[in-house]
Amino acid sequence: MNAVVDRAETAVIERVENIDFKMVTFSLAGKDYSIDIMKVREISKATRFTYVPNSLPYVRGVYNLRGDIISIIDLRTMFNLPLVKSEKKSSDELIILRLDGYLLGVIVDSIEKVVGISSSAIQPPHPIFGDINIKFIQGVVEKDNKLYIILDVESIFGQNADNVEVVPTQYTSKVAYTENKPEEINMGFISETLRTFSKFNVTDLNNKWVENRFEEWKKLKGKNSEDLQLHSERDSEEFLSRFYSTDTGRFWSEEYRNLISSLLENNSSGTIRAWNPGCGKGYETYSIATLLSEKFKEASIKIWANDKDLMSISNAPNLALDKQNLPKYMDKHIISVNSKSQFNQKIKDIVLFEYHDITHPNTFPTVDIIVARDILSFLGYSEQLRMIAEFQEKLVPGGLLIIGQNEELPVNDWKKIKNNNITAYRKIV
Amino acid sequence: MRVEYINPFVEAAFDILKEVLGNDIQRGELYLKSTSQAVQGVAAFVGLAGNVEGRVLFDMSMETALAIASEMNGETLTELDDLGKATITELANMITAQAVTKLHDLGFTFDLTPPAIFTGENMEITDNEVEALIVPVIVKQGKIEINVAVRERT
Repeated sequence: MNAVVDRAETAVIERVENIDFKMVTFSLAGKDYSIDIMKVREISKATRFTYVPNSLPYVRGVYNLRGDIISIIDLRTMFNLPLVKSEKKSSDELIILRLDGYLLGVIVDSIEKVVGISSSAIQPPHPIFGDINIKFIQGVVEKDNKLYIILDVESIFGQNADNVEVVPTQYTSKVAYTENKPEEINMGFISETLRTFSKFNVTDLNNKWVENRFEEWKKLKGKNSEDLQLHSERDSEEFLSRFYSTDTGRFWSEEYRNLISSLLENNSSGTIRAWNPGCGKGYETYSIATLLSEKFKEASIKIWANDKDLMSISNAPNLALDKQNLPKYMDKHIISVNSKSQFNQKIKDIVLFEYHDITHPNTFPTVDIIVARDILSFLGYSEQLRMIAEFQEKLVPGGLLIIGQNEELPVNDWKKIKNNNITAYRKIV
Repeated sequence: MRVEYINPFVEAAFDILKEVLGNDIQRGELYLKSTSQAVQGVAAFVGLAGNVEGRVLFDMSMETALAIASEMNGETLTELDDLGKATITELANMITAQAVTKLHDLGFTFDLTPPAIFTGENMEITDNEVEALIVPVIVKQGKIEINVAVRERT
């Protein structure tokens, strides 16, 4: 008897002790979300915010909260969730947040209640939850048969999150972009050794090519699994030898250049900006520079070219070659210096070569064209994702992205243009 | 960082250090860094302005700074007093100024800000969104890391 009472008592004590985290719950597009109550100053209803011209789309305006002017952000617009228009509601439900020294109001569909939970019950977020990017989610918790997603307001509204609207949520949730871990043992070995020897990462970006190449490889090397494996950097380079795009590491042939040229749309803005990450010795960059300067005679053109290999790029700005090594179509851009051929000042002024690692912050403005052939596959999985998002951010609407011919963007919010040897995408307007 | 800027800084560092400290100089591998970095103990700082924005940081340990200041002054300093600090500042100024002169000859014009010196333990420097070129130089007094972060004005 006593034991039963004791147990009941302990259970009560445990429950009381356990509630150490309270959160305000609310709904957004029919799903349950919550915010740590320590971040919430109050909740309120309001309407008729003062519109601020030229602000971001999710900023509804400013509001006078008993003398404090606070910004009002619509969480639904911010996360691209559907707005539920309710006839009955005459005012919006506001949660006033207290963040690092300032107040901020967020609009949600409807505020429900305060729920107390044990912080140990909070589980880490899983990508399949919700339509909101995982990095804004502090955790997930179950209470009374409801699953609440706890938003991390510090990371949403913190100092470094001013580019929230460009974080493409679909990379993590809607499209399964995965680091491929194939079932078949040989294929697994190939992925592993490609990474070790050539820093080549097999993901959805290039999986198709690797699988096809592996079939070829089997025919070439026979069925014996020992022979199939890549034992050295040489094997791995041999495996990848067909991966590289046409005219890698040399000037573009006239034929290839014409293909690229056909993808460029007329541009009347007067400025053309291009980005050529991983430019190596600069052959590709000069091919682009001469093409653009002929195609857009009137425009002012700027190309940012960068590479993290100092040895390759250090000679690029003053590339000097024997004349026979240059394609004929470049003749008009060439001057002769000390019996070597160099590009004229006009072409040199177009290109800015930088010793730069693209996974570090890229500080130049938006561009019209990105030529990044066979670059992404040599980055780690998460870096690939980050760079694809960055390409999207850096391109103007309608801008052109050219990636390696055997690569394929695993996300579907780009318009694909497949043209023989070129894999190109246009950013959807 | 623009490729043309790299050599002038490396050459200037070599020329000046050779002149003031003697011949025993080695260069480490150049590399890029973007996150915040620990500073070893004494950091001389020169800002750049003009066509570009940025700064050059000369980072060394207190022992190295003392040994270099002692060598340059021809006397043994036991603490980094005003004379020692002025010496390190001047060294930073000489190297940066020579690099900027070389760059001027190539057609890039920048100005320098007066150098400043930071000393202390457990320091860290963070430049938001700037990538730095690290030029490690090993002299017989110790290691100096020259940390150049320059970007074009856009």
